[in-house]
Formats: sequence, C-alpha cells, structure tokens
Amino acid sequence: MDFRGKVALITGSSRGIGASIAKAFANEGAAIAINYVKNESAALDTVENCEKVGGIASSFKADVTNPAEAKLLVESVQSEFGKIDILVNNAFRSYDFDPEQRKMFWDLNWDHYQSQLEGSLLSTHTLCKAVLPLMQRRAKGSIINITTDLIAKPSIPYHDYTTAKSALTGFSKNLAVELGPFGIRVNCVAPGLVYPTDASKNTKENVKELIIGQTPLRRIANPKDVAGPVLFLASEWSEFITGQTIYVDGGLVME
Amino acid sequence: MNTLIEQAGHVPDFLIDDIKWQQLIFSNNSQSLNVNVPILTATQCQRLSDHIKLNNTQFLKKQNTTTIIELIDKAIERLLNRSDPFRLKAEKLLPVVTGFDTEMIRLSLTDYLKNFRKPQLLRFIAEDFSNPKILDEFQPIIKGGFAKAFGPDCLLHIWAGNVPGLPLWSLISGLLVKAGNIGKVSSSEPLFASWFVQLLIDIEPRISDCLAIVCWEGGNTEQESVFLNNAEVVVAYGGNTALKEIQHRTPITTRYLPYGHKISFGIVSASVLDSQKSWVVAHKAANDIARYDQHGCYSPHVFFIESGGNISPRTFAHYLAHELSCLQEKFSRRSLNVNESIQLAHWRDDETLKLLSEPGSEVISDKDGLWTVTFTEDEGSFSLSGLNRTIRLVAVNSFEKIIPLITPYKQFLQTVGIAATPTEVFQLSEQLGQHGVTRISGLGSMTAPEAGWHHDGRFNLLDLITLTEIESSAEVSSELYTPYKD
Repeated sequence: MDFRGKVALITGSSRGIGASIAKAFANEGAAIAINYVKNESAALDTVENCEKVGGIASSFKADVTNPAEAKLLVESVQSEFGKIDILVNNAFRSYDFDPEQRKMFWDLNWDHYQSQLEGSLLSTHTLCKAVLPLMQRRAKGSIINITTDLIAKPSIPYHDYTTAKSALTGFSKNLAVELGPFGIRVNCVAPGLVYPTDASKNTKENVKELIIGQTPLRRIANPKDVAGPVLFLASEWSEFITGQTIYVDGGLVME
Repeated sequence: MNTLIEQAGHVPDFLIDDIKWQQLIFSNNSQSLNVNVPILTATQCQRLSDHIKLNNTQFLKKQNTTTIIELIDKAIERLLNRSDPFRLKAEKLLPVVTGFDTEMIRLSLTDYLKNFRKPQLLRFIAEDFSNPKILDEFQPIIKGGFAKAFGPDCLLHIWAGNVPGLPLWSLISGLLVKAGNIGKVSSSEPLFASWFVQLLIDIEPRISDCLAIVCWEGGNTEQESVFLNNAEVVVAYGGNTALKEIQHRTPITTRYLPYGHKISFGIVSASVLDSQKSWVVAHKAANDIARYDQHGCYSPHVFFIESGGNISPRTFAHYLAHELSCLQEKFSRRSLNVNESIQLAHWRDDETLKLLSEPGSEVISDKDGLWTVTFTEDEGSFSLSGLNRTIRLVAVNSFEKIIPLITPYKQFLQTVGIAATPTEVFQLSEQLGQHGVTRISGLGSMTAPEAGWHHDGRFNLLDLITLTEIESSAEVSSELYTPYKD
C-alpha cells in the first residue's frame, strides 16, 4: 500500500495500538499526526520510530475528550500538514480491564457510563465534525473508529466501556450513511484482547489462555495485528466499503 | 544504545576491598549491559573458604530449619512481587543477559519462583526427610538410637547458565541443610544467584558471612582447586566433558554430584488425539518447546505421536506448527549467534535431506527458520532436535516401538512429557522408568518441575548431608554413668 502524500491523524497514538498503527502508516510513506495527552516522551519516541521507517511525523498534545482541544488539534494538524485524509479515532478514556476486580453492574452509576461515552463517542463526534470540511473539500476521506469485539460478545461485561463502544459503532454506521455521498467512508475496527498494551499489561495468563481456547487462530492479538485492517480501510483497496466493522480477534467473534 | 551496569556476585565484607572485578559484556534485545563479577586469587579463595566454614558453624548451623525456610520465603516473596526493585531488575536485565524474550522471562520467573514459597519448601524437605526435625536435633530412629543430619560446612556449586534462575535449586537445597555455600556463577548468566543472595542479606545481614557468589574462568584449575579442596560436597552442572574434568580435580574424600546433559522427549497417545483435544495438546507441546528455546535439560527434542486417533499424527504436526507460529508472536525466539545459526541450518539441511528419501515425511518451517517441525513415519528414528524451537515428530503405531529406540540413551534420559489416559500413563511410566527416565510430567509442564522434584532421580537434600547416628548401645551404656543411677 502506498500512502505517500496522505496525512493520517491518529488519536492516542503515543503507545500501544495507536503507536503500532502510526508506525504501519509510516512504513507506507504517510505523514502522521501523533496525538497524546500526557506521555510526551512516548509520543516523541513514536515520532522517531515513524521517521526511522520513512514516514513524516509530528506529535500533537490534546485531550480529545475536550471539544475545544479536539478542534484545536485538527486545526494544528491542518496547519502543519495542509490536510487530513485519514482520521483514526483510537483514543479512549483510561479503563481498568480487570476481569476479577471489575465493577459489577450494581456498582456502576451513570457517571461511569457518561465518562466512557465521552471517551469514545464525544471525542469521535468532535473530531469527525472538525475534519468533515477538510475531507469534503477533497471529496474523499476515510474515518476509522477503533471499537472492541466485546460489542458482539461481551465475554466479560465491562458495562460502561462496551456500551460506549457499541454507541460508537451505531454512530459510525449512521455517519457512513450521511457521509457516503461526499466520498467519505466510515468504518470500525474491533479488536479482541490486545497484548501487550498499557490496558492489558495486568491481564492474567489464565484469562489469555481462556480466550486462546475459544479463538480459531489460537492466539491473542498484538498491536501489529490491528494495524493491518486499519491500513486496509484507509486505503484505496477498500474504496467500496463503508459502515462496516472488521473484527480483529482471530475469529473469536464471527458475524 | 545506552549501556547498563550491574554488580554481580557476593563476597563477605572482610575481603571486599582486596578483590578484583572482571567485566562481562552482554548485548541483546537492543540493550547493552556490563556485569562486574568478583575474581579471586588462590590465596583469597582459601581465606574465603575458611571464613565461610567458620561462620557457617557459628551462625547458619545454629538456626533452626523453620527460620531458614522463612528467610528464603521472604526473599522469594520479594522476587515474586512485580513492583519490588529486585524483580523489576530481573525482568529488565535477564532478557539482556540471556537474549530470551522479556515476556517469557517474566512468566517463567513467576512459575519457577512459586516453587520456593514456604509450603513448597516444607514439601521439599518432607520429600527427603520423614522427620524434618532431624535437621535441627537428634531424633529417635526406627532401628533404635538417634540421628541428626548435618549439612556440609562448605558446599561448592558450579552452575551452568543455560536457563536463568537455575542456581536456585541447589543453593536453596544447600541453605535448607544449613551448609556454608560458595557458588560459581556461569559467565553467561551471573545475575540471578547474586540477586537472590543480596536479597537474603537484605533480610538477614548475618547470613552474609555464610555465602559467597564468585566467578572464575572454566578450567582455571588454580582457583577451582582451592575451592574443590575445601568443599565437603561439590554440585556441578554442565557438559559431560567439563564435569569429568572437575571430577578429576575433586579429592576422593569429597562428595561429587554432577548434573550433566540430559535428553527429554514427549509422548502423545492416540486416545487424546480426538477432534476437540488435539489442538490443546499441541498448544501444550508447543509451550514445552518454546520455553527457554529448548535450553533446559527437561526440554523436549522429539515427540512420539501414536497413530489411530481421530486426528492423525501428521495433522497433529500441522497443529503444532501453527502453535509454534503463534508462540513466536507471544514469545519471540532469542537471536542466535553465528555458530548457533550455522548449527541450526546444518540440522535443518540434514533433516530435509534425510526425509527426502522417506515418503510421507515433511519439514514444516517458518520462512525465517524461527521454528521447524519435522514429521516422519519412520518408527526407527530417534535423533536429537537442532534446539532453538526445532522439533522432531515421529508417528508410531504403538508405544512398544519407543522403548528400543531409547534404550541406548539410558544414562542420558530425564523428562518425558505425556498426554495419555491414566492407565496408559502408569503403563508407560513403568517401562520408561526401567529405561532410565526419571521424571514423567504432563505436557505443558515439562519445563516446570514441581517443588521437591528429584532432579535426575536423585535426592536434593539427602545427597548433601551426612547422618550422625547415636547407636542404641551408646544410649544404653550412657545410662550406666548417670548421677541418678541407683
């Protein structure tokens, strides 16, 4: 895939899955906007890694759950790179994925859901609105939202997190209908458990083995696995695909 | 690439200012590490041996076993705590020293260290002593009289560095029998034993004078001879040639316990090769192969797969190949040096050539040679793997075919990993035991011996001690001399 001349904004891309997606784009020659909230040194490392493999990259500090900062982020990327062809909404509000100590439904209140909705949906909503004029101007664009396979099979009911990601899936389908006529595509990539990332670093081996036991491809996803489908959905290879979700979980979920 | 520096070894304070340090240089996984290890002169070796022996009798020998167990337990608890500085250091530096995958080391360390918690240590002792109090005081014995077990004042360990953490088995055994311990670390993994000793001293500073961790070049007879002449018991790990040389230099009055190269393999019964369990068995087998890239004595070289199940041995080979491919994602194989790469390429070429003439055989390999599975239906085939995630699968019509193949290797056999029904496990174990196999494990556990295992069929603690008996005649006759005698 050749992404030379393309600009990709990837939220939450200083580490983990986001950094892996950024590096994969860089490998194919894209210019990448690395967004981070706190970890500047990790963001700078990712920039360096992207440049090492032939991409152009810059880091942009912004809390995308804050609408003002999200808008400013898009303006800054536009100002530095001149356009945005690809938006990958990967950032989410930090979440403690602990199957043994997770909050039960009766322990959760609406604020928990609100917080996750803001982390997933509010940030995506704001960024999509902000990039829309840029993409409309070129009659082309690809928006990829990172969700989770838990929306199809909540093996562990992380209620607030998965509900927010389900909302994001619904949001994406509606947006795909709305933006199709402008040549802008909206799709989702739904990974299963991805290891190692900050969110999964404390996942116990027995949980991983349990998932492997039900996964046809017999392993857990790694951050690189997620990057491939994202690049595919960003590329011209998928020009006639919109409103879809690709599950990246070794076949654990089949729809 | 910045270079990290770490101090290894331990010598008691009285000697610390006079010794020289040698720097060992490691570079793996994009990181460099310089490790300083203590190198002693022959005179210093003698002074150290005297010091350890003296302090052992004055301190460690006077502790009761429970106190020692609790000390070890506390040190192990810290190594199991993922936020403890020693644990963090181990997770960070062992991949640099050994080249093994970071995640593999992290998981293996936990699996390994949990063998040395207090309940496991109690089991360890119970395996060898029906009455553990015999380590603390004279105890009545069945034939009459009393007995007490004494550990050596000076126990010398000569460790190999093939698998990180391995020194703990013998070092902890030494501590449990209250021995003064001098350990020679391998220049390929000098750290783990050193950290463990540093932790013990952190918890109980007085033990500092009863332990030493040093290094010398293998075959340096001057330093080695001093230690060999001072030790009451020598435990040595390594290749058979090196072990034989050490044996030559060990005084006849010294007990010598060598642990040489061993061969381990796996057996999969047709009864487990059904449509549901086969891949689970392949998953476990792959874990045994990938763990420490087959560098342990308990790592499998060959799997014998019985024909007749719903899943054929050939299909099982394909399952296993995919599992190894998945494990490469989870735990990448360590980078090989030039010699290892050449050896591996030769092994693969030889296998490919050999199998060309065999109809039905297959070589399944990763494109970069990161793992290789060879499959043969030649039942007369028993040869070793090329290590580093290469495995030979041999289809057999019945297990009876295995025994003649392993008979010539009786002295070298150690672990057999088995996936079979309980009846088959016991039937096979009877035959395997007769032919030299000393450990039967479930598949997936080959590289994780359980607490208290009998390494190479021997007794970890009994081999180290001498028993002093008060015969009943001494007890009875002493009654003649009591002041209260009527």
